[in-house]
Amino acid sequence: MAGFEFELSRNITIGQYLPTGSLVHRLDPRVKLLSFTILVIAMAICDTYVGNIIALAFAICLFYISRIPISYGLSGVKPAIPFILILAVLQLMFYNKVASGGTVLVDHGFILITSDSIRLVIVSALRFIEIIFLSSVLTLSTSTTQITHGIESLLRPLKYVKFPVHEFALIITIAIRFVPTFAMEMEKMMKAQASRGAEFGTGAWWRIIQRTKDVFPIIIPLFNVAMARAEDLVLAMEARCYTPGNERSIYTKYKAQNKDYIAILFCILFASLLLLFPFPY
Amino acid sequence: MSESAILEVNNLYHTYMEKTPLEYKALAGINLQVKKGECVAVIGHTGSGKSTLIQHFNGLMRPQRGEVLVDGQNLSDPKLDVKALRRKVGLVFQNPEDQIFEKLIGDDIAYGPLKMGLPLKEVRDRVKWAMELVGLSFEELKDRVTYALSGGQKRKVALAGVLALKPEILVLDEPTAGLDPFSRQELLDRIALLNKQEKMTVIFVSHNMEEVAYLAQRIYVLADGKNLIDGTPREIFGNTEILRRHHIAAPQTVEILAHLKQRGYSVDLKAFERESAAKEIVSILQPFRR
Repeated sequence: MAGFEFELSRNITIGQYLPTGSLVHRLDPRVKLLSFTILVIAMAICDTYVGNIIALAFAICLFYISRIPISYGLSGVKPAIPFILILAVLQLMFYNKVASGGTVLVDHGFILITSDSIRLVIVSALRFIEIIFLSSVLTLSTSTTQITHGIESLLRPLKYVKFPVHEFALIITIAIRFVPTFAMEMEKMMKAQASRGAEFGTGAWWRIIQRTKDVFPIIIPLFNVAMARAEDLVLAMEARCYTPGNERSIYTKYKAQNKDYIAILFCILFASLLLLFPFPY
Repeated sequence: MSESAILEVNNLYHTYMEKTPLEYKALAGINLQVKKGECVAVIGHTGSGKSTLIQHFNGLMRPQRGEVLVDGQNLSDPKLDVKALRRKVGLVFQNPEDQIFEKLIGDDIAYGPLKMGLPLKEVRDRVKWAMELVGLSFEELKDRVTYALSGGQKRKVALAGVLALKPEILVLDEPTAGLDPFSRQELLDRIALLNKQEKMTVIFVSHNMEEVAYLAQRIYVLADGKNLIDGTPREIFGNTEILRRHHIAAPQTVEILAHLKQRGYSVDLKAFERESAAKEIVSILQPFRR
């Protein structure tokens, strides 16, 4: 991978939108958000091998339907692998109280591995991957503006309990919108500092202080740039007469169509299948 | 490798986000040669691949296809000593003042030399040398805080931070963008001085044709990741045909001379440097004197 040491932005898929114009792209963002929530809940509860393999297959199918290369999903999984592994080890070691059923496979001192704890480990790893795939499809097929409009419109009922729905949606938009920008900014900063002799992540891992100091030349300028950007953003918003708390009309109105109803119905059916069907394994 | 070329690029390709739907061909077969001690300008419209190209010069990017040779070293070599290369080729990014991170000016310039592991005495000498080269007083400014500087001064500090590595080749990405006219001229003069007095090879990217005409000994014109044409400023700016065909903006003096020629005055279109252009205009006015 020589030459890619600085290409940060290609590894960040959050906030990246891939317009392919597929059916999934054209769905109502509210429908997509709701379906996403329903599916994630179903995947989080379903604890059988077969159920999770079906869910994984479903998530992979979504990539094909939305015409997004599966490699995008895989690149989202890659950075999560260490977490999945650590989680697996922890579960294997300490979860034997919870998952004590099934046949005992290893019983050595404090290590007790049963077929149930193995199942827990594999199912959690599958869940992790499913959810990453699902959220990749959601963000890749829905632009950030659509996501915020969707969130805002779904949360609208909360206005009656004095929840600042619009401000909340705005904060989320700004946060998501600037992830790729700062990734690019950081890439540029790393290159600039490397050009004058900086090195990143080369010292031995136990020299924590040294390695922390190594990132100062990036973090400090990045902070400065972020502050400057925030100021510019404030000016740009005020120049367009943004006033917090004002009643605001909305430019895009969403109206659910037949395909949206079908999509959400299908997701509900699929979620109930995962939750209610007694899978043998 | 041709003789005396310190930097050579042969048929270089680079594609961003290769094999994804967002694939973008930034470089598509660039060829370029820079001789030792030359001052070369790289011009071209936005997106023509200038920034991608110069990031290959100090190994921030490695050739995907084609080759880059710096002083005989092939940058495709996996065993290449990148740190040594980056000392040899000093790269100054666009808006380099963003990269300043130390509280004191002297400390920020000393960052590179300190990272090289030089003894303190040597570091101090280099900071002094670099500051004076860019026209900042060492005694007066080394212990000043960086955030209290003007834009032009900040840029000089950032430039000094790269110069303190004593590079043989200095690569600048739009060195004067966003500066006021006075700081702009001052910085240009400093770069010219580095080239002439310190014998540094200078390669710079610019959108400002006045400064290209002022500084460069040779110009490369890039478009769509390829180099269209290269030549001395006189060969490029003095040739109306080339300017028109490749949509190159020309310095004002070129346009003034072209207008005069159209009106039937006999002027030399190639004489567009400020002084020569002035002489041409004076020679037209000569008959009207008295």
